Amino acid sequence: MTSLPGKDLARELLEQSQLESQTGPMEEVIAAARQRKLDSDALFRLVGRLWALERLFYYVYGGWGQGLEIGDTPLSAKYLFARQIMDESTHEMLYLDMLLRKEWIATQKDAFHHPYSKFTLDSALAYYAFALRNLATYPHPVRIAGLNLGPKIIESGWMEGLAEALEDDVLRSLFSSQLVENRSHINMGRRIVEECISEPFQAELCRWACRLGKRDYTMFLHELANFVLGRPSSLETRTVAVRVND
Amino acid sequence: MDRHSATLKINHERCTQCRMCYLACRELDINAVYVALEPLHRIEIDPLKCTYPGCTVCLAYCPAEGSIIEVETGRSMVPPPVDVHPWSLRNLTGDRSQ
Repeated sequence: MTSLPGKDLARELLEQSQLESQTGPMEEVIAAARQRKLDSDALFRLVGRLWALERLFYYVYGGWGQGLEIGDTPLSAKYLFARQIMDESTHEMLYLDMLLRKEWIATQKDAFHHPYSKFTLDSALAYYAFALRNLATYPHPVRIAGLNLGPKIIESGWMEGLAEALEDDVLRSLFSSQLVENRSHINMGRRIVEECISEPFQAELCRWACRLGKRDYTMFLHELANFVLGRPSSLETRTVAVRVND
Repeated sequence: MDRHSATLKINHERCTQCRMCYLACRELDINAVYVALEPLHRIEIDPLKCTYPGCTVCLAYCPAEGSIIEVETGRSMVPPPVDVHPWSLRNLTGDRSQ
């Protein structure tokens, strides 16, 4: 079998993100769930805010889709991206179903306006979504590396922990049922980097996008954890500046 | 059969998971169609929320023959039979005036 050019890079990004996924802002939320300290309102805040983020992936991927032809993206990568859009849509539906099922909202229209689930411009959630959307101008393998081998690995880590910690079976299933698709996205990222990234400059761009994605996603997670635990949210989070050479 | 007691369910051997039923049901705020909380994330219909035969919007948009069935009769409802969808009859007879 022919050796894939980006194999070492994919492994490097994967292992680094796995290391970082072991701790993070959601640890406190998981601990609170384990101690049965998340009441219905806290869980509404959690699911509401996750829905707000999920639906923004329509906006992010809309931008990415426009740039699919840049750099002559292989057909296999385009197919995988289509699959990822579908999965992300599924997750958006799952969160909204849960808001309705728990009767936290009466209609889907309510979700767009409720303080727990509406999109707010001045938020880490918006910052993260805009930053992801900005990757639209980069080659597809770079932005996929920046998402699937970064934030997606962090997400998979806390989501698995939370699914185990939650007492409510329906909420446990909400998170545990997403794990296969999340793993699939990580593997898609691995495959695309392995297949498409062969030059040092491309590799450096992937590392940059990955660092950036994780920084911004972690900022969102800080905001989310504060929100769920009833603490004031702030954009002043513990982030490390990413040096950008341009 | 009392039509008011009828319920619908998804036939997963035929359903393509296109999700048109889900979107249409949600748009009407009926929210009977939902994503199952299992790894395959298949589409299901909640009989407690579904208002069929009062509403047949899922049948109107479903593209896959045989993918939504009436539980009580086992009858395929896609494409919608004329007795549940008056506009189907009009289309068959070429009457587009209504």
